[in-house]
Amino acid sequence: MESLSLRDDMGDNTAVAGQNTLQLIAFSIGDQTYGVEITTVREIRAWNGATPLPNTREFVRGVINLRGTIVPIFDLRARFGDGQTSPTKNHVVVVMSVGDKWVGILVDAVSDILTVNRADIHNVPEGNAIDTELLNGIVTHDSRMVGLIDLHAVVSGARLDA
Amino acid sequence: MSDLDDFKATYFDECSELLTELEEQFAAIEEGERGSDRLNAVFRAIHSIKGGAGAFGFSALVGFAHAYETLLDYVRDGRVELTDEVAALCIRANDIVADYVKAAQLGEELPLDYGSEEKSRFDALARGDTSTSDDEDDLSGEIVEEFDLEFVPVMVSIGTDDASDDTFDAPPMEDVDGSWSIRFTPHRALYARANDPLLLFRELAALGEISVTAHLAEISQLADFDPFAVYCSWTITLSGPDVSEISIREVFEFVDGDCEIIISRGGAAPAAPVKAIVADEEEDADFASLLALTEEEMASKKAVVVPSAAKAEVPAAAEDAGLSFLDLAAEIKPAAPVVAARPVAPTAPKPPAAAAPTAANEQEESHRPSGVQSIRVDLDKVDRVVNMVGELVITQSMLTQQMDETLRARYTELVRGLEVLAQTTRGLQDSVMAIRAQPVKSVFSRMPRLVRELAIKTGKKIKLETIGENTEIDKTVIEQLSDPLTHMIRNSADHGIESPEKRLAVGKNEFGTVRLSAEQAGGNILIIVEDDGAGINRDRVLQLARDKGIVAPDFTPTDEQIDQLIFAPGFSTADAVSDISGRGVGMDVVLSNIKKIGGSVHVRSRTGKGTRMTLRLPLTLAVLDVMLVRLGGSPYVVPLSSIVETIQCSRASFDRVPSGGRVLQVRGEYVQVADLCQRFGLPSEVKPDDQFVVLCETEGSQKLALVVDDIIGQQQVVIKSLEENFERVEGIAGGTILGDGNVALIVDVQGLRTTQLHQNAA
Repeated sequence: MESLSLRDDMGDNTAVAGQNTLQLIAFSIGDQTYGVEITTVREIRAWNGATPLPNTREFVRGVINLRGTIVPIFDLRARFGDGQTSPTKNHVVVVMSVGDKWVGILVDAVSDILTVNRADIHNVPEGNAIDTELLNGIVTHDSRMVGLIDLHAVVSGARLDA
Repeated sequence: MSDLDDFKATYFDECSELLTELEEQFAAIEEGERGSDRLNAVFRAIHSIKGGAGAFGFSALVGFAHAYETLLDYVRDGRVELTDEVAALCIRANDIVADYVKAAQLGEELPLDYGSEEKSRFDALARGDTSTSDDEDDLSGEIVEEFDLEFVPVMVSIGTDDASDDTFDAPPMEDVDGSWSIRFTPHRALYARANDPLLLFRELAALGEISVTAHLAEISQLADFDPFAVYCSWTITLSGPDVSEISIREVFEFVDGDCEIIISRGGAAPAAPVKAIVADEEEDADFASLLALTEEEMASKKAVVVPSAAKAEVPAAAEDAGLSFLDLAAEIKPAAPVVAARPVAPTAPKPPAAAAPTAANEQEESHRPSGVQSIRVDLDKVDRVVNMVGELVITQSMLTQQMDETLRARYTELVRGLEVLAQTTRGLQDSVMAIRAQPVKSVFSRMPRLVRELAIKTGKKIKLETIGENTEIDKTVIEQLSDPLTHMIRNSADHGIESPEKRLAVGKNEFGTVRLSAEQAGGNILIIVEDDGAGINRDRVLQLARDKGIVAPDFTPTDEQIDQLIFAPGFSTADAVSDISGRGVGMDVVLSNIKKIGGSVHVRSRTGKGTRMTLRLPLTLAVLDVMLVRLGGSPYVVPLSSIVETIQCSRASFDRVPSGGRVLQVRGEYVQVADLCQRFGLPSEVKPDDQFVVLCETEGSQKLALVVDDIIGQQQVVIKSLEENFERVEGIAGGTILGDGNVALIVDVQGLRTTQLHQNAA
């Protein structure tokens, strides 16, 4: 349907990608590009609404039904502190596994699959706490900056009282 | 190794079933039912436990079970009378067997002398009642302890020159006159029930001097060898001063129906003649390994005795010295000795050769009442089916919702199809749920043992009554039930029931009664633990609660609220810490366990009369009957089991309390109000007067009024965990998927009430 399973590709890609390279799914929030390691991505779906969860922070958009399992959706823009996304049918949910849990990240669009050298990953410059908290590193691809998302950090602190 | 572990796991599963059965049987025996069925069932259970234990090398368990089994056997025979004392000893023995099984399962070692006291009681009982004569006394003692027996081997060789008439003329027994000849042909079922002929021979050996001859002619060619078939039969010659036919029959009583036994006097011919037995040791070795015979059996096999009856025929076969054993066996096979089903008469007629032992056996098998057949299934597999059926139900209701009026009018066939689908899915759902349902018996049956132990430890006299143990609940619920029930019964026995002296002093029966009952009440199961003890000492409880800071000093709770305090964490009313209770884990464990499975606990006590604790449990964890409500435009669900009634807000009378919170007056009772839209931070879309109040009951009959925007209707939902992929959200008990595929959240009524209390207190 609207979801694209990446599982089949995984084997081939990992075969191509060696010890020194990393494959990323790149997606955009506004004009910025971010990436997550391809092996954590389970599927990509079009935004189709979510049931809001009470008593949670604004970046928790709610929960969706993913073939019988309840999966929470996090609004990445809101997580970055830029206010909630006003999602349309063209917005995309990237479903990923974080530890033993499945979560969805609401982004504007999925742009690319990138192969980058691990050696090219830079540290996040010290400065704003939120940058160092939510990003694992920065990598350059085609002269664009791609922020590597730290999923564990993104999904933590979802409750209002937490 | 993992195979062995699997076998072990199966064995322990079976043990727990067998121990449960033991409890049941003895419960009936205690009530005066002392028929042989009960005893046979007990004997079989112990025997099976022993058999498996032997296979896995749990020697301590085998030793105890063996002594116990011997006693049971004597009781069955009537040699030992089943007095109350003996019954009590047996019940103790069951507990000890259970302990041994548990120790074996956990890989622990029990003290060497564990159960030795009981064991010596068995021996004493067995000795005391067998006979007064000293000789037999020693004999039985010997059997119990060592099971020494001596075969009298007589070497016979066939197909050689030694096979002269002289050999056969030699009487197999020294004393032909006083001896019995027993022809014993086991059926397949005998082995299937884990019986060992060796044990029977041992029992026979206890009666007198015996000599056993194995008939191996039935053994087939290796290619045709069926490992489950029975190829061996035996002739036993038994001589002793007081051997009677009845006593021989008693030995075989336990395997009655699973074998053929022909008993004849004076070493005379067994009805079915044995044609030939050859013991060529080299060839024999192959079969020996195939049959995995025990050492004793090997010994007996080497020492083949041909009964006198076989005289006429054996030489004829033996003359054919050129024939190999296999040829011989094959040739002889059609004329296999087969005897009619009830071979009482020594001269039983010979049925046609077609009815070979196996065939006869199978026939018999098919006549046996089948009873309830069952299979063991991995719970995960059932869970998967339950989940898929849940999805199916949702899809089905989604399809039905999609059919609007115009579609209905246009596609009548489709509508009919959907109606059938709805019926079928509902039926499927019920059936799948029934698979997971189990009678509460499996938990209840562990309780008599607990009560007995408690009675011994506390020195009280306690009777346990169980009612409604066939009530069925979901397996997961049952699994969670054992701990809470144990705590509740401990509580009743330790704190509730008074000592016999005290009971007599207040004019009660010295026996305290704990009644454990289960019943179905709508979508719930009620499990009630009730005792006729002293009731809760409210002054003490309140004092303790004040000391521990659970209750504020200036607050005076109602009696009911005080009773409920025993569920507070860390609360124990025991005066001293005993090994029964008061270790800090008390009734709060009950509460948390029961809450975990969506149930509630309520306690009601009457001073001097007793205490009643009621567990209210959902029938199943997977499916929930709910009321669908609307809050700020989103659907939410409230479990129907907690709802008392619904009221339109315009008709309800609200009041304010100083904290600013609202209360609702319902029939003279003031109830806390939780405005869900406000609590969940949702914008209410309707005017306050158009809203509804859903009156819910929480633990201990405490009520809470939920204000919702609208009531949509009732339906069944499949509960989904929020925590699986997220975390616990306050006020939300979980999620469910509605017909349109969207998620609806389940309101956590109990949780809301608790936080409401916090807020009010703040």
